[in-house]
Amino acid sequence: MSLSILQQFNWSAMTPEFIILGVSALLTLLDLFMPKSLDRKILGWIGIAAILAAIVSVLGMVGGPVTSILDNSFRLDSFAMAFKLLLLAGSGLVLFLAVSYKAKDGLEEYHGEFYYLFLSALLGAMIMTSSGDLITLFIGLELLTVSSYILAGIRKYNLESNEAAMKYVINGGISTAITLFGMSYVYGLTGSTNLIEIAGRLSSVSDGQQAYLLTLAFLIVFVGLSFKLAAAPFHMWAPDVYQGAPTPVTAFLSVVSKTAGFVIVLRILLTVFGSAASVGDPSKPILLEMQDYLAFIAGATMIIGNVVALRQSNIKRMFAYSSIAHAGYILVAITSLSSNMFYSIWFYLLAYMLMNLGAFAVIQVVSEKTGSTKIADFAGLYRRSPVLAVVMGILLVSLAGFPGTAGFIGKLNIFIGAFYGTPHYVLASVMIATTVISYFYYFGVMTQMFFRPASDDSKFNLPFGIIVVLIVAVVGSVLFGVMPNIALDFMQNNLDVLADFFS
Amino acid sequence: MMENAWLIPLFPLLSFLILLLFGKRLKEASSYVGILLTLASLVYSILVLFERFSEPTFITKFDWLTIGDMHLTAGFEVNQLNALMLFIVSLVSFLVHTYSKGYMQGDERFPVFYAYLGLFTFAMLGLVISPNLLQTYIFWELVGVGSFLLIGFYFYKDEAKAAAKKAFIMTRIGDVGLFIGMILLFWETKSFEYSEIFAAVDAGAVSGTMITLTAILIFIGAVGKSGQFPLHTWLPDAMEGPTPVSALIHAATMVAAGVYLVAALFPLFAASKTALLTIAVIGAFTAIFAASIGLVQTDIKRVLAYSTVSQLGYMMLALGSAGYVAGVFHLMTHAFFKALLFLAAGSVIHAVHTQNIEEMGGLWKKLKLTGPLFLIGTLAISGVPGLSGFFSKDEILVAAWEGGHPILFLLALAAAFMTAFYMFRLFFMVFTGEARGNQQHVHESPANMTYPMILLGVLAIVAGYVNTPWFGTFLGDWLVDGNKALEHHGHAEGSPLIMIAATVVSLAGIYLAYLMYSKRSLKRNWLSGTGDTLHTILTNKYYVDEFYQMTVVAFTKGFSYFLRFIDVFLVGGLVKGVTGIVQGLGAAGSRLQSGQVQTYGAVAFIGLAVLVVIFALTGGYLR
Repeated sequence: MSLSILQQFNWSAMTPEFIILGVSALLTLLDLFMPKSLDRKILGWIGIAAILAAIVSVLGMVGGPVTSILDNSFRLDSFAMAFKLLLLAGSGLVLFLAVSYKAKDGLEEYHGEFYYLFLSALLGAMIMTSSGDLITLFIGLELLTVSSYILAGIRKYNLESNEAAMKYVINGGISTAITLFGMSYVYGLTGSTNLIEIAGRLSSVSDGQQAYLLTLAFLIVFVGLSFKLAAAPFHMWAPDVYQGAPTPVTAFLSVVSKTAGFVIVLRILLTVFGSAASVGDPSKPILLEMQDYLAFIAGATMIIGNVVALRQSNIKRMFAYSSIAHAGYILVAITSLSSNMFYSIWFYLLAYMLMNLGAFAVIQVVSEKTGSTKIADFAGLYRRSPVLAVVMGILLVSLAGFPGTAGFIGKLNIFIGAFYGTPHYVLASVMIATTVISYFYYFGVMTQMFFRPASDDSKFNLPFGIIVVLIVAVVGSVLFGVMPNIALDFMQNNLDVLADFFS
Repeated sequence: MMENAWLIPLFPLLSFLILLLFGKRLKEASSYVGILLTLASLVYSILVLFERFSEPTFITKFDWLTIGDMHLTAGFEVNQLNALMLFIVSLVSFLVHTYSKGYMQGDERFPVFYAYLGLFTFAMLGLVISPNLLQTYIFWELVGVGSFLLIGFYFYKDEAKAAAKKAFIMTRIGDVGLFIGMILLFWETKSFEYSEIFAAVDAGAVSGTMITLTAILIFIGAVGKSGQFPLHTWLPDAMEGPTPVSALIHAATMVAAGVYLVAALFPLFAASKTALLTIAVIGAFTAIFAASIGLVQTDIKRVLAYSTVSQLGYMMLALGSAGYVAGVFHLMTHAFFKALLFLAAGSVIHAVHTQNIEEMGGLWKKLKLTGPLFLIGTLAISGVPGLSGFFSKDEILVAAWEGGHPILFLLALAAAFMTAFYMFRLFFMVFTGEARGNQQHVHESPANMTYPMILLGVLAIVAGYVNTPWFGTFLGDWLVDGNKALEHHGHAEGSPLIMIAATVVSLAGIYLAYLMYSKRSLKRNWLSGTGDTLHTILTNKYYVDEFYQMTVVAFTKGFSYFLRFIDVFLVGGLVKGVTGIVQGLGAAGSRLQSGQVQTYGAVAFIGLAVLVVIFALTGGYLR
């Protein structure tokens, strides 16, 4: 590829990625040349500034036409922009948590590394949203995943953190192998890695044997990717890793990394398998044919997440299972394939980001104070800090999906979507039943906070970063719960995801 | 006035927010914030009520949420039922706010109590002006949260904590029914709005089975909230909350929400005979069931709690017998006399510091105001002619008779007898005879507690005269005015014999109680002594709680053990087998490598294998 061709590309489509990449490189150099005595927190603030700049640049591109460069391997469509905004906003909030995180167990030495590894993980996730090719998708995925491995183990002298990283690496390796194996089938059958081209070739295939292989590929790819979603059957790593990783990293894994997982699942499932003919009925795409399997996985994920969460005594483990459960709810939206699917998923991830990151901010404050992450540490929080307890209360109520909060609107969207086309009664009932189960563990924390005596009366002082996250989380959770049409209007007026997605 | 009726719920919300943020600084002054703001709600509600007498129904709405191509609206509505409910709720709430100033004096968490009261009142007022099911449901849940907080207010008592939890879970079971019914109805009619649902039902756009199904599902929600059999057990336990809370929540407002819901959706229920019959049967059964338990309770508040359950059953019976006016009428009169009874009971407890009626007695002379007021409430609930309860109960009995349910009518009559009996048993044991407990410093309650009771006492006497066979049926005519669906459910003229029968059973019940507990010419255990089977069954409330403990709870526990068994032995064993092989192959090395981490990968592989095998069996070559 000559220089002239390179110059023809509309590189401005990648502005947000370039910002993150540039700042990530800059942070590396700064960390190298800055005197050891200087506090590395400044790198975190630079990272936050970079993310804000990237958000502004994405917002500047909103409403523009679909741009694809580099042989269609990088495409900037409404889908990419919508999810990039989510990823950037989520990462920004996580960075606010990170600058307020007290470094210990070896993190003080590697504090600088934390920030640029974090940005490179974010870069991977952003590339995933925009890729139109299996190769770029995979590269984005690996950039995100490999960076996360190190982040999980960044508390070098902490045994739990090490264990978390080790388990994450091994399971991640297995999932990557499975995913790649499935992708190789797709490539083998179509001879292309470009998603649009694959879709085009598959729509004309009606050979039963090929359809059979493709369906196998579908199952394999999906199971491989369920690792990133922390959905069944690849959910078991989550509790151990969430518990061991530093709290900001846990927040990152449970929100940003999960969002990226749904991005890749949507890209591959909808473009590749949404057009390929299925075994039984050539007029029916594989995705529709396999709805029952997706429903089964969604149901299992919801049940496992919510039921096992009941038995947890560690707050981070409990949130790990709760995050498994939330992945299950979103899978319900993917299963039902309603016309409103993109919006439901996007909105749910937005609501989930707000409430989960807010909750992790509270967890970080409380666990830094007590030095452990037991649920019992929340006893009497209302006495010690009414503000913190009320904030956590609102976020828990939103996570539980109570009316008046964003969590409720998110669940309602998905729930109503489950009745589009052929109604999924069983799946909808499982969703309702498991939601009811979830009240028990969320309200268990509430009981601790409001109805139990405190073990000591010491007060909390909230760092600036935590305050920012808490305000954004609470205001967002309530605002989108009371006036959900704000988000919808933004989406409808600016981002026509459905029209852009397949063009 | 009516176009700004949305302000009414906002006053208590403001009170809640102010007290949440500044309660610690305001201390005892918090009560003034709460009292003044609920007074504002009350004044506004009265103005709205009077305006509604002359003006037509006011309704307004705007787009709230768009899902796909569906637009959900939010707004508010002031029709006759809503206007009446606004008045009842804000009145009782205002009185309870005032009363609590004396009752809760000195409590460490005084401002918190007022904050919770504000939240609850906001939710309840919001519930009664909602023009659609979804909004109703949202406030319905919020009401549940408010009551959870208030019942569990004394959270350092284990009973209170357990009661709050039980109330929350039991009503949530009902809420699931309501939610499913609501969603089904939405899919049938494409709307949550009452008016559009009724229009669709009227036009025959919804099949008969669907109407019955959704109506019964929604009724399950009402069963939970209104403490109807079999979800009634939370209500007596909820008496662990402070007594003013019992007056507010468990007499006049939250428990009435179930009855209100059925009344608000009455055109839907009226379209299904099966649904109406279900409501009538459950209502009548609850009425007599709870009344019979009330016969033997010894806790003053529990007697009142069971009487509430029983009276709510009455209201359901009325609605189920197509007596729309009768149900709403009794809802109103009951709110007044039951709130009075609870507040008076609170005054008694305040004076003697016990809730056990065996330790009371002879209080008539010591509590010169509470005694007569309690008597008024007792006479009203017993259906003695001339007081409010008499007229509304008569209306219900007529509705049941005219509705063609002679058996339910007899059940209701029997329940009326029991009500008169156990209420006067309560009265005689508390106020007459010798003092049985340690009553050294018995004193009448302060003015801010007695004035609300006096006002309620007046209402308990006169509220019935708005709808009587003798002086005109103003309420009944007004309630159904201009509403086609309710035309045939207005005031029903019944035979005077029904009224005579009701009077006779009520007086008979009072006389029997008099013989047994005041004159003592009949031994207390002439029918069934303590220790007898019947008595044991009744004191144990028909063992419903134990039944739940043995069946539902045990089943859930058993099921979880079963799952655990499968998890540990089957899945665990399988996984261990697989990991065993993997371990044998891999170099047995560090702890991390041989640890659980392989299990996780193995589970993923097994999951994948299961999916592939299922696919191969059902969709692939092997088929």
